[in-house]
Amino acid sequence: MANQSDTKIFEQEEQVVLKKQSQFREIMGRFAKNKLAIASLVIIFILIIMAVFAEQIAPYGPDDQDLSRRFTYPCAEFLLGTDDYGRDILSRLIYGARYSLSVGLISVSFSCLIGVILGCIAGFYGQVADNIIMRLVDIVLAIPNILLALSIASALGPGLGNLIVAVGIGAVPGYARIVRASILSVKQMEYIEAARSIGASDVRIITRHILPNCLAPIIVQATMSIAVAILSAASLSFLGLGITPPTPEWGSMLSAGRAYIRDFWPVVTFPGMMIMITVFAFNILGDGLRDALDPKLKV
Amino acid sequence: MPEPILEVKNLTIEYTSGKSIVQAVNNLSFTLEKGEALGLVGETGAGKTTTALSIMQLITSPPGRIKSGEIIFEGRDLTKLPQSELRKLRGEKISMIFQDPMTALNPVITVGDQISEVIRLHEKTTKLEAAAKAKEMLEMVGIPGERYSEYPHQFSGGMKQRVIIAIALARSPSLLIADEPTTALDVTIQAQVLEMIDRIIRELKTTLILITHDLGVVADICDKAAIMYAGEIVEYGTLDHIYNHTLHPYSIGLFNSIPNFDEDVHRLKPIKGLMPDPTNLPKGCSFSLRCPDCCETCRQRKFELTEAAPGHFVRCIKYAQV
Repeated sequence: MANQSDTKIFEQEEQVVLKKQSQFREIMGRFAKNKLAIASLVIIFILIIMAVFAEQIAPYGPDDQDLSRRFTYPCAEFLLGTDDYGRDILSRLIYGARYSLSVGLISVSFSCLIGVILGCIAGFYGQVADNIIMRLVDIVLAIPNILLALSIASALGPGLGNLIVAVGIGAVPGYARIVRASILSVKQMEYIEAARSIGASDVRIITRHILPNCLAPIIVQATMSIAVAILSAASLSFLGLGITPPTPEWGSMLSAGRAYIRDFWPVVTFPGMMIMITVFAFNILGDGLRDALDPKLKV
Repeated sequence: MPEPILEVKNLTIEYTSGKSIVQAVNNLSFTLEKGEALGLVGETGAGKTTTALSIMQLITSPPGRIKSGEIIFEGRDLTKLPQSELRKLRGEKISMIFQDPMTALNPVITVGDQISEVIRLHEKTTKLEAAAKAKEMLEMVGIPGERYSEYPHQFSGGMKQRVIIAIALARSPSLLIADEPTTALDVTIQAQVLEMIDRIIRELKTTLILITHDLGVVADICDKAAIMYAGEIVEYGTLDHIYNHTLHPYSIGLFNSIPNFDEDVHRLKPIKGLMPDPTNLPKGCSFSLRCPDCCETCRQRKFELTEAAPGHFVRCIKYAQV
């Protein structure tokens, strides 16, 4: 008898999993119709593979110098040419993906986490908490993003960790605002009152009932801001405040190559193109996700 | 002598909006015994929902505020309990069914999970046990258990209301507050839902407060009825008192405005006028502005609820002991 009811429960559990997948599949189906978004996903996938398996993929080490082959134009031996120290640009770009992607992903998760927590407190509790948090957010927003990152980076000094913090702090206000706005609209819904009426605590109401309803704008904001983070990390490195040479970060490669911009084009063109392609891919991915997640576009 | 499960004493609730103060509930008192079903009837803005929310202690403050009064539930004054104690009561001892089933379910959580949530909030069980219990609840309200993992948008309005009822009754609460449970549903579904509420509360011996503006619904499933007007109970008694020996002019007006099928009626007989502005209630009896039998004294002073017959209370000068 007990066994029988066990299997019954088991079957039911299995069904739960199936149904949840189908919801997910519905979103993925809508996403898959967007060819551009799929292309961007493929590009991002390639970038991630590049970053993870850099040792295996790159034809040379990132710091392998061959001074006799300085400034080689793209050829069979050096697919994208060599730079002023005779290092293979392609290999350096492949290793550089590690820095750009990790700065993008880590700084976004960092700012997303802080921003969502702040937004939740401000939106849910309102009044004094809301005023304090949102005024601080306004202050941060009033400072141009790159200037803010610049001053934080110069205060903390160069380095990957500091760069992540510098880029991340500037993105926090965006999340805080988006989350606060969606919480304000969701918390007035009757189902939140209903959740209270069954005895759910504040934390439970926020995490289980409100946040899942605000997920779509957060996901979109996160993908979009990966692009922004990569771009500002590259800019900071270009200005010498982020990751410094000889680390093959794309921005610092640009910076190191700018002296030769008139005489030898590959040294700046290829890192620039890498940055452009990556940022473009993340932006398109964000657009695609927004379209897929927006229930109003549901036909 | 049956023990009272809920005693509301001199409850006054006000909302502040800007500088004006809205008296939503004025000096309201009533007593409910275990297993009774009370119908709270009144027009829009009479303070019915506010009363319900105050029993749940879910009045949003600000702007709302319980100015004075006591709500004694199973011997404890709810207005003085800390939040943590109230959370233990909500869903476990006191449950509420909301007016609009379209918005009372969370769109991103499966209906089954919403039912098992209330079980897991109040009982230490595993996920699977709670899910099995939730499935049972679904079947009790007439929804096949296989639909456990569907989302609210896959359900019709009547089925959503059943799910809400299942959530409210999952822990067999001793008090159920149904806030216009059938207003958003069409007539056939209304009848089904009411029949189901009636059956389940009798099975579980739940005390019921049914809020509605439909006198027919009250006659169907309640034992007692209270007619509310401008935040006050104007008449209170058993169904027989209210329906067959109506005393208060407002209640009489309500019954008169129901069209009679036996006569050939060309025009309905409404109660003339509108509810008084709740920010500026009349000095005397709040119904005096619309009352056909109003006299000078009515405009000057308020009257207490008076027992006109045993168990039948009226707030009117005609029955006041002077």
